[in-house]
Amino acid sequence: MSQDARRILKRELGGNVPGGLEELTEAELSGFAATLGVAKRRQSEELEAAVDEALEILPRLLRRPVRKILFG
Amino acid sequence: MKGYLSPAVEVRRLARLVGAQAEDLAYFERLEGQAIRDLRDQVAVVMFDADRQLLQRVAAATKLIPVKLGAVIGERAFGPLLCARITGLLDPSRAVEIAQHLSVTFLADLCLHLDPRRASRVIGEMPPATVAAIASELVAGEEYITMGGFVGHLSKAALLAALNAVDDESLLRTAYVIEAKQNIGALVALLPDERLDDIIATASSADLWIEALDVLGHVTERQRGALGDLAAGQDDEVLDSMVRAALRNDLWSEVLPVVRAMSPKSRKRFAALKSIQARPVLATIIGAAAQDSLWAELLVLLPLLPITARRQVATLATAFNRETLERVISAAYEEELWPALIAFATELDKGPRREIAKLIDQSDTDVLQSLLSAVHDTGLEADLVAMIRELPATGQRHLGTRIAAAPPELVDALTAAADEAGLRPFSEALHS
Repeated sequence: MSQDARRILKRELGGNVPGGLEELTEAELSGFAATLGVAKRRQSEELEAAVDEALEILPRLLRRPVRKILFG
Repeated sequence: MKGYLSPAVEVRRLARLVGAQAEDLAYFERLEGQAIRDLRDQVAVVMFDADRQLLQRVAAATKLIPVKLGAVIGERAFGPLLCARITGLLDPSRAVEIAQHLSVTFLADLCLHLDPRRASRVIGEMPPATVAAIASELVAGEEYITMGGFVGHLSKAALLAALNAVDDESLLRTAYVIEAKQNIGALVALLPDERLDDIIATASSADLWIEALDVLGHVTERQRGALGDLAAGQDDEVLDSMVRAALRNDLWSEVLPVVRAMSPKSRKRFAALKSIQARPVLATIIGAAAQDSLWAELLVLLPLLPITARRQVATLATAFNRETLERVISAAYEEELWPALIAFATELDKGPRREIAKLIDQSDTDVLQSLLSAVHDTGLEADLVAMIRELPATGQRHLGTRIAAAPPELVDALTAAADEAGLRPFSEALHS
């Protein structure tokens, strides 16, 4: 397993790379690390968009207390 | 097969977690299933941690919102994936209340993204009727892997409701991919015999023996026997289809333990099947026994086979080396299957029979005493002597001397058998 690809995956996983992946090529490891990175970003974007939309749906009376919990 | 995780199934789970197509991650299938699962576990944590703070705040804010409105916002704004991430952070009873106002389609979609381990309490509190409705929806989408992840988290009542909502074929496909295989026994215990009978028939008609035999590999020994008995009660065609599947997919290592766990009557029925008596079938059975050390399983089956099949096995066994025969003897000792071993040895050619006699002569005292005790209890002295006959005179004397210290009635019985067979060196040594 290439050290570079391993380093990138380790960064995306926020810790250690679990064992048993030694058979994967550098390209495969890098590819998966990229997929994971995209998935995380997409989730964050979708969550932010969902929160905005939820606030729109909420009755005005509830918006302020909910916003306070969400954003302090 | 115990503890086995299918790489293909694990890849599908991993792909769903990162929003990828399983085909795009097919290269993971080269790895051990456990390695993929370990990675998935870590990825699940990362995906959750990436937005942990905001997810927790959303969950907290949910408390301020009426349940019905929470469902509307969940379905319209957050969608199934984000709702799945939030579910485990909600108070379980509130989560269940909100779920009551969500459509079944949405809940089923949510389940596709839910990590059951993070939402176990919510799942455990879900009403049986809702679980049954979701199960039907997941079956319609052939989402067996998702369903398999929930077993072990559902209440007994909900599991029963789900079992009733799922057809036999889907149930087999789901059981095959259950994440916590240790729960299969409990699941099988909930099914009445009539349903189990139908499921076995379905394994045959839908050619799902791989799935059915995997289930049999994860239940208790008692359940394995009971299910084996149910299978043995089916028509020949059902059992023949299992034999064909075992041959085609190399499943004898799964079949043999089932045959062993069956009642003697069922085992006899299985042994009488014409489909297992063909030489290629017997050869693969013996190959599986050798590969996975299933000699005990084979020994209980062999005496029940018709004579022609036993002869075929005896011919195949001429290829057994000393190491293999040692394992056969060990199995006979450990599982107290000496009569079956002696019956097997009686039908072998001289070569392997002599090798077995030599191994017995060289065996530990405990092994020899166990053999002699079984021989005496079952009156197999003449058969043992027939095996000892293959030893050279020195071997016969050596073994006779070792046996001489056995209880007198056993020594007398063996002497009588040896005298009748004209084995003088052995007979004389018995009284040395």
